[in-house]
Amino acid sequence: MFEFITPLFCLLIIGGTFLGIIFGSIPGLTATMAVAVCLPLTFPLGLENGLALLLGLYVGGISGGLVPAVLLGIPGTPSSITTTFDGFPMAASGEGEKALRIGIVSSFVGGLISLGILFAFAPTLARFAIEFSYVEKFLIILFALTVMAALSKDLLLGIFSGVLGIFLSLIGRYDISDGGNGKMRLVPQEWDYYLDNGFSLLPVLIGLFGLAAILEQAEIGVPKGHSREDLKVGGESTFSFGIFRNQAGNLARSSFIGTFVGILPGVGGSAASLLGYSNAKTFSKHPQTFGKGEPAGIVASESANNGLTGGALVPLLSLGIPGDATTAILVGAFTLQGIQVGPLFIGNNPDTWNAMIIAMLLANVAMFMMMYIAIRHMALVVTVPKHILFPIILMMCVVGAYTINYGIMFDVWTLLIFGILGWLMVKLRLEVAPFIIGFILGPSSEVYFVKSLESFGDLTIFFTKSWIAVVLWILIIGSLVGSFYMSRRNADQNASGRAVG
Amino acid sequence: MARTQVTIDFETSHLIFPTIIATVLTLLFLTIVIRDRSRIAGSGAYWRQTFASMDKVRFFGTLVLTLIYFWLMVPVGNMWPNTGMGFLICSVPYVFAVGLLYLHERSLRNMIPVAIMAAVAPPLAWWLFSYIFFLSLP
Repeated sequence: MFEFITPLFCLLIIGGTFLGIIFGSIPGLTATMAVAVCLPLTFPLGLENGLALLLGLYVGGISGGLVPAVLLGIPGTPSSITTTFDGFPMAASGEGEKALRIGIVSSFVGGLISLGILFAFAPTLARFAIEFSYVEKFLIILFALTVMAALSKDLLLGIFSGVLGIFLSLIGRYDISDGGNGKMRLVPQEWDYYLDNGFSLLPVLIGLFGLAAILEQAEIGVPKGHSREDLKVGGESTFSFGIFRNQAGNLARSSFIGTFVGILPGVGGSAASLLGYSNAKTFSKHPQTFGKGEPAGIVASESANNGLTGGALVPLLSLGIPGDATTAILVGAFTLQGIQVGPLFIGNNPDTWNAMIIAMLLANVAMFMMMYIAIRHMALVVTVPKHILFPIILMMCVVGAYTINYGIMFDVWTLLIFGILGWLMVKLRLEVAPFIIGFILGPSSEVYFVKSLESFGDLTIFFTKSWIAVVLWILIIGSLVGSFYMSRRNADQNASGRAVG
Repeated sequence: MARTQVTIDFETSHLIFPTIIATVLTLLFLTIVIRDRSRIAGSGAYWRQTFASMDKVRFFGTLVLTLIYFWLMVPVGNMWPNTGMGFLICSVPYVFAVGLLYLHERSLRNMIPVAIMAAVAPPLAWWLFSYIFFLSLP
């Protein structure tokens, strides 16, 4: 049952977690980039060992963001933005090490709670989803895309990004293995050879999350790294676990919030930590201390963003829908090994499912051990110079893109195209997360849509197939209306704020 | 036949979904253009500001070096087919050049680690992927 637990499996988790902490700790690098760049390494490792590496990177990458957030006041990853609010003031007053330890313990607890929810909830949801026909499957994807768009900064641009992702995913042949007619579409004739199977997923991901991130850094001049003197670790630690005596509620609530946000498709860690932080402030007896070095703020932020890790895997492993950008890249790992994620995944691959749970558990333990025990040394990863790291990352992007389909140079050009597109999308305020999830789910949504019509021959089937379809439509419309209402309210508040100003 | 009833022609079934998605995309695009018309009209200033504030040497330098790197890899690799030499030979100068590009103070002392990294990282990646993982490189 647990044959996959080998020395290599454990070593990959430890190595992945360590590398993830480095990526998370360096502003400009993210957990998503770590997973994207290391994806080709999983090819020869096999699925269980490959997932061990990637999940270690994921947990380490999300956790590592707290180091610069506390010591420099700069979030290492978007999900640790709220950690800066109280972590940096604590560090500035000589309590850097204490703030880091609070963050590490909170991250650990958040990770474990979300893992527990993943373990309990994903198989149940998958068993329920097995009954879904093409109609419900199509509506689930539509729901995922509308939720993502609804939670974007701009509803319209969020929807546009998701639909653009779907459109680009349809380029190439309508695959016979999916029940298609095998004909090409959306490709000029002279490009037929290159785009027969469309743009490959993995070069697209590596371009969007690897090259685009480095282009963004190059645009701002690749900010100089930080020296040891910049780190405000502080004197001897005054940390004790007694700090958490009054934080059990905050810890549990924020972890659950993070997990819930993770379950919503395409919503990132920054939303999880912001929601956890604002709730902790609302429920606090002394909200005025938040933002001035309040440990409860770090507890909320870090437990919520690590709560995301398990939550984001729930829709991926039960429905085949990635919970966030990083788990979207995990789809690539499964694709590489020829395994499709969806409702049947857990039942058909119990060993892989067990391996993922154990890997997540060990990655959280490894993260805790590395960061808690060696905190003063781990803090130094912030000082790794970018002019050393970035060229290696760029080279690894090329290796990843080229090897993924056994050596196709067009995949390397795809990496460049989508790297530039990723940079442009940020400039045009388009959203990368809905785009990539649209790109991943596009081909499935086409199959489900066309097969539904072929089977039933009536458009009303999308509304009348079952009570689940009706519920899904209510959720789709509810998420859009809710988002529209919120964006109008925000616009009104901004307008009245300007009028008062 | 009710208006909601549809018959899928298998021969043209590859165009149904792309047509719907293209239509939705066009409608969304037009809605965005109408909603954000004033912002789009003033986007010239936004792009001028973007280009004025950007580190042009590092940004365009990255793009140009990457283009040359990608461009040369295959012809160089074709000189020694199926050995991954195109990757190895092109990666060493590329990693060194990008490292130099991103370096803020280009003193000899600072350039030594960049040179060591350029000399070590590509051969290590080449050895790992070609000989340990048996994956092909250009």
